[in-house]
Amino acid sequence: MPIENPLPSLVEWFFGPPWYAGAGFVFLGVVVALAVIALLGGCLVAALRYGPAAAVKITGKVLAEAVPDLVRMSPRRVWALTWLAVKESIRRRVVVVFAVFVVLLLFASWFLDPTSTDPARLYLSFVLTATSYLVLLLVLFLSAFSLPADIRSRTLHTIVTKPVRASEIVLARILGFTLVGTALLGFMCAVSYVFVVRGLDHTHDVIADNLQPVAASPAGKAAGAARTGYTEPARGHRHRLTVDADGNARVEAERGHWHEVRTTSSGGAPAYALEGPEGMLLARVPVYGKLRFRDASGTDTERGINVGDEWMYRSFIQGNSEAATIWTFQNVTEDRFRDGLPIEMSIEVFRTYKGDIERGVLGSLAVRNPRTGLIVETEIFESKDFTITKALVPRVIPKAKVSRARVIARKIQVPGGGVEYDPPRESLNPSLADKREFDLFEDLVAGGEVEVWLQCLEPSQYFGASQPDLYLRAADASFGLNFVKGYLGIWLQMVLVIGFGVMFSTFLSGPVAMLATSGALVGGFFSEFMAKLARREVIGGGPFEALIRLVNQDNLMIELEPGLQSQVAQLADRVAEAGLFVTASILPPFGDFSYANWVAYGFDILWNPYIAVPTLRTLAFMIPVFVAGYFFLKTREVAR
Amino acid sequence: MQSEVIVETRNLTKVYRDFWGRQKVLALKALDLEIRRGEIFGLLGPNGSGKTTTVKLILGLLFPTSGQALVFGRDAAEVTKNERIGYLPEESYLYRFLNAEETLDFYGRLFAMSAPLRRQRTSDLIEMVGLTKAKRRQLKEYSKGMTRRIGLAQALINDPELIVLDEPTTGLDPIGTRDMKDLILRLKEEGKTVLMCSHLLADVQDVCDRIGILYQGELKELGRVDNLLKVREVTEIRASRLNEAAQAEIRQVVERHGGKVQSMGNPTTTLEDLFLNIIRESEAHPGRRVRGGSGDAH
Repeated sequence: MPIENPLPSLVEWFFGPPWYAGAGFVFLGVVVALAVIALLGGCLVAALRYGPAAAVKITGKVLAEAVPDLVRMSPRRVWALTWLAVKESIRRRVVVVFAVFVVLLLFASWFLDPTSTDPARLYLSFVLTATSYLVLLLVLFLSAFSLPADIRSRTLHTIVTKPVRASEIVLARILGFTLVGTALLGFMCAVSYVFVVRGLDHTHDVIADNLQPVAASPAGKAAGAARTGYTEPARGHRHRLTVDADGNARVEAERGHWHEVRTTSSGGAPAYALEGPEGMLLARVPVYGKLRFRDASGTDTERGINVGDEWMYRSFIQGNSEAATIWTFQNVTEDRFRDGLPIEMSIEVFRTYKGDIERGVLGSLAVRNPRTGLIVETEIFESKDFTITKALVPRVIPKAKVSRARVIARKIQVPGGGVEYDPPRESLNPSLADKREFDLFEDLVAGGEVEVWLQCLEPSQYFGASQPDLYLRAADASFGLNFVKGYLGIWLQMVLVIGFGVMFSTFLSGPVAMLATSGALVGGFFSEFMAKLARREVIGGGPFEALIRLVNQDNLMIELEPGLQSQVAQLADRVAEAGLFVTASILPPFGDFSYANWVAYGFDILWNPYIAVPTLRTLAFMIPVFVAGYFFLKTREVAR
Repeated sequence: MQSEVIVETRNLTKVYRDFWGRQKVLALKALDLEIRRGEIFGLLGPNGSGKTTTVKLILGLLFPTSGQALVFGRDAAEVTKNERIGYLPEESYLYRFLNAEETLDFYGRLFAMSAPLRRQRTSDLIEMVGLTKAKRRQLKEYSKGMTRRIGLAQALINDPELIVLDEPTTGLDPIGTRDMKDLILRLKEEGKTVLMCSHLLADVQDVCDRIGILYQGELKELGRVDNLLKVREVTEIRASRLNEAAQAEIRQVVERHGGKVQSMGNPTTTLEDLFLNIIRESEAHPGRRVRGGSGDAH
């Protein structure tokens, strides 16, 4: 599963290093900057309307009132207004959205293809996406229209003439709609879970007479006692079933799952019944390593080769060369990996010739001790696009199962043109590779650190990888809990939409507030792209340069022809970049709050950092949004 | 302290502007006003004269363009002053999906009242405004008069010291109107201060101690109702059972002292009194045809 923006740990994210890049300091800086801008802006507007002296007085008064308004909120009043928002939402028939969702699920089986290669991913993506769209749309309407409707119907007059602070009104709206959305999301989560589990549940019939004797028994038992064959098809697939000489039956994995087989006896003849699917709904707990590359000359590099892919997420190594992708794992201990290293990888293949397209490209997997340099090649595998390849590096690796063992040092380019070796070449001990068997923790792991090397074995073919593409599967977490975590991501998005919706509705009419919130939502989904545009990391230049390219049908990769036209466009782009930078910085990156892929691809969403950091980011956005909403409502004439 | 000033406006001016800041309407022009504790003050004026604007400025629903509005000595925009105010808007802007009990309980919570106190006040006020039988019905099912009554109840939920009533008798039938006027007088007896604005002159005349008359945003008249309505050049004598000879004699006496009899005859009652008499009689003697006017039933 691609992770384009991997997060550091919570502490590192919050405090740095460097300290000035830590989220805590950046947040403080942005808050202070926004407060100063808002203060000066408010003072300027007041000066234009009432004159400079009055402006200073008014600004001081608003600030002086803001402190108690924000600090001395009454929980009883906030709860009363929250309860009102909940009642109002119910009156507006929010339950209809739940009904729409249920109807959607009822007819979902019409368009969800159960014969797809990964039906679990399809089902999970569908429920999470459908829930996300429906809930976000609902809270968008609720939050944007509620306050303007109260102002228009003047019901707000009877509220603000009570001792109710503007801060309490804003907070209560946010809390009320969050409560409604949370309840709705909870129901949707429960219904979706049942839908997915029931929707994927299936079994296969086995006709015992169709099983054929296996030609030779590896265990040396009587040939003909073992039998094999296929189960009956269901959901567009069937499994190979093998019964060994002792009568134990098992099925092979197909479409990402397998079944337990129950053997019974019917009239003296064995009969086989398959249980429900196993391994379909997963929450793998991946242990990620740090990725580096090795080029064809055997020298370490940060990145591999660019094969011309516009998506720069993966870097490539060429086949049949010294080039390798190397992951270094920390804290690899016997306690965590008693049975060896369970490795899973999803490697992209770039073919310069077609070859046998049905067959994957061959690669090798090796494990290296970073301290001694001993590297043991444990596996030759076929890599296919979009498939997860599994491998297990056992605790004890017999020499007979090793395709190659040697001792090599890392070759590191140092500034100034020299080369260093790690460990130094003179300290290498080639005899380490001459053992009859290798112990994973004694020979290959040093101080909890181990390297996993991947190489492409076929000439003129390439392997592409990014850091999350290979990981150690330490354990599996509860799928149910992971499913709930997936909904937590939607919840965070929902809270942000509510915050922005309520904030905009304090000074805009309902439809305009809805448009503004939609703009923030859409802009937030593209905030990463906007930030890249502002940083000039997008090929083809900024918006104005892109416009010229569009009109002239110019290639993105070539420079614009020099001239007045391109100079003006590039100058305009510099101005636009500043605007894009500010916009990208103040809009929440909604895409980062979506966990749909994690759940659908079967990866555990780690609390730290993938839940903790987005939660703090949501809070960081909600605080200024709430304060802004308060000031807008406080300075608004509600009876106008 | 009878003379304590509860509401004070100083040079209060409100100009409505358009989006570009250009002046659209001068709604209120330099209003200076004082309302004292325990009095019923009426703001009179035709539609668009600035009555509601004044009320909204006093309540902090609008901000003055210039000048100041003070309530209990504090700026009108300050929130804490609202703890001592009850407000009945021109139309009862309440949440129509709540019932009477829920409405009063909700507004009670906004005053951070404890649950037992809220229950007590809710029960008392519902009984006072005569909505006991309809207390569980949603407000959307209420008639206009019932809506006004529940609106009044919410205005009194906090037992306020100052009650602001905007057109309090609008939408009420004559009995409701009389009840409302009686209630306003009772509030005065309890020591409350009432500010009401209305264009129904009879209502104001019946209950107000002092009035201010606004016209096109300017205060045209201010003073005690009895003083303002007193016609000093005219002397009124009302007597009963005088025959024509006696009336002629009175006419002669008036002329002897240099006066001039402008009219002499049987006075008329107000339509409101006539209507109320008929209703009272009808309730006392069901089925009998009633003739009002003198208060006698035939």
